[in-house]
Amino acid sequence: MLSCADFLAEFGDYIDDTASSDLRAHLEEHLRECKTCRVIVDSTRKTIDIVTESGCFTLPAEAVDPIVSAVMSRIRQRTT
Amino acid sequence: MSQSATIFNDPPRSYPQLIATYGFLPNLFRAQSTIPRAIEAEERLIDTVVVCQGRLSRGHKDAILNGVATVRGSDYCRALFGHSLAAVPDRNFALFDFSLKLAKHGPWVSGRDVLTLKNSGFDERAILEAIVTTGVGLMLCTLADGLRPRLDTELRSPAPAELLNVPDPLDWPKASGVHLAFSSDSAVDSPAFAVLREQFGYVPNLYRLQSAVPELLDAEVQLLDSVLFPEYGLNRVQKECVLLAISAANLNTYCATLHSQALHILGVPLEESDRIVEDHDQSGISGTDRTLLDETRKLASLPGRSSQRFEPERLRKQGFTERQIVEAVVVSGLANFLNTLQAGVGATADFPPRKIFGPKDLYLFSDRSRPISDATFPEDPDAALVARVRDGDIDVFEELVRRHSRRVFGTLAGLLGNIDDAHDATQEVFLKAFENIGRFQGRSKFSTWLTSIAINAGTDFRRQRRPLESLDETQDDEGFRPRQVQKWADDPERLLAASQMNGLVREAVLRLPEKYRVAVLLRDINQLSTEEAAAVLELSVPALKARVLRGRLMLRESLAPHFVRQDKTDA
Repeated sequence: MLSCADFLAEFGDYIDDTASSDLRAHLEEHLRECKTCRVIVDSTRKTIDIVTESGCFTLPAEAVDPIVSAVMSRIRQRTT
Repeated sequence: MSQSATIFNDPPRSYPQLIATYGFLPNLFRAQSTIPRAIEAEERLIDTVVVCQGRLSRGHKDAILNGVATVRGSDYCRALFGHSLAAVPDRNFALFDFSLKLAKHGPWVSGRDVLTLKNSGFDERAILEAIVTTGVGLMLCTLADGLRPRLDTELRSPAPAELLNVPDPLDWPKASGVHLAFSSDSAVDSPAFAVLREQFGYVPNLYRLQSAVPELLDAEVQLLDSVLFPEYGLNRVQKECVLLAISAANLNTYCATLHSQALHILGVPLEESDRIVEDHDQSGISGTDRTLLDETRKLASLPGRSSQRFEPERLRKQGFTERQIVEAVVVSGLANFLNTLQAGVGATADFPPRKIFGPKDLYLFSDRSRPISDATFPEDPDAALVARVRDGDIDVFEELVRRHSRRVFGTLAGLLGNIDDAHDATQEVFLKAFENIGRFQGRSKFSTWLTSIAINAGTDFRRQRRPLESLDETQDDEGFRPRQVQKWADDPERLLAASQMNGLVREAVLRLPEKYRVAVLLRDINQLSTEEAAAVLELSVPALKARVLRGRLMLRESLAPHFVRQDKTDA
């Protein structure tokens, strides 16, 4: 069976759901036996959800127009 | 600097010598008949490097020249070099593979490559001969690309397929330095050094390193003295600008630094050279000279054979004479020769570099997008708009800005950690994209290309403000192991208000080492596919996956104290 270190090195594809069936089987075999790695998988998935949905670096909708205007104005200035 | 100080006064005997070398007078040299001194200097270099007996046999050198012509895609040179072959070239030696790597991926050649050759039993002189032969091969291929002479002899066979697939290099050399050195104190008073001192104000390290090989040094200095220093057609500033632009396109930090300094001595501010390096269209040079750099940059030896051909007609329309056009091509050949020589011997910069090139810089100088399969990406939803902008419909670009401003801003905000800076940089990214849209060939999605520009712009922005934490350098994080192993609450998003959550995530992301932060930004915030993110960062897919996983685990570690379950129920 995989060690925890091996599991942690390999579980990226498992989280992204792109692991081959062989790898998935090995990882799941480890997970059945290892509570710590189960916690890490669960909390990593939650981390990804939180980061993806947080919008922490999102440009507010009202800021889009000013950027579009500024860019287009500079482009038109340069091309005329 | 003064006008050319000719130290070589041999009569023009190059044609008979070329006929002796090749058995006929190659059309490649006839095409340069307006600059006889350049032909003489090229002939002397060919004689010194290829014809004269050295550590390597003529067969080995011809094999290298053939290999260079093949990877460069030059049918003319394949026919020319093939004609001089006495027998089937020996391709089964390590120097041949080294030369192909140098010809196709010069900036990736490292001291380790040279050390491997030494450990295989090649002495430094043999390695130098391979390097210079490769440089000569690339110089002649550049001349053939620009001058397009008729074939002298028919091609006897198609290009050998195995040579067309030189493997892409994996790692950018982490350290610059000298790979080979043939220094000699006795050269201090040599005529060649005197010319270099007169022209540059000092003897650049690239030449100093070769001082113990005087016949080679003399041939190189004659080439400079015949091609670069005279001001009969193009002036010296124009030629130095060509050398600078091509050195930048070839990612050659040493040569770009050398020619920035040469321009500085000629009165061109260093900041102007910086602009030529970044994007000559944004520099203060004349429209005529911009066209000169547009065209000569196409002759750069990276990235392999450009899909855009050198167009002499554009130069004619700008008023360049036929002689000046030939000169532009010859100077481009010189640039590729010097860049190759430097990449092989590894001279260290004579002055602190204004810009240290990395693989990311390949992108803006290339007329193709990153080397990734078209099949990797679904159809690009922006393709039609991009085509209209390329056809001159500027207004359509507005829709592209609208579609992608949030993504670009998000990337920059995550990279810079400052909202105002991200606003400014976002505008610059779109301006740069607009200016370079002619170079976008649609081999990746437009959004991926745009993200690459954002990463480069953000990295440059940070570099201007404080010493850069390189995306490429290994950091001391090998000991990282998850420490927070308590179970998380089932629905952690509900534990905090949205604004608190945003602040928390933002801080955690900004605390990540930059290389992991960028990987997480691209995958989890910008939602790029693994392949797209790897292409943007010029990483292999496994390397990108490793960075994303490490970044996610580090984030998890930072966020865990806020989300662990308060009761002690087991999983």
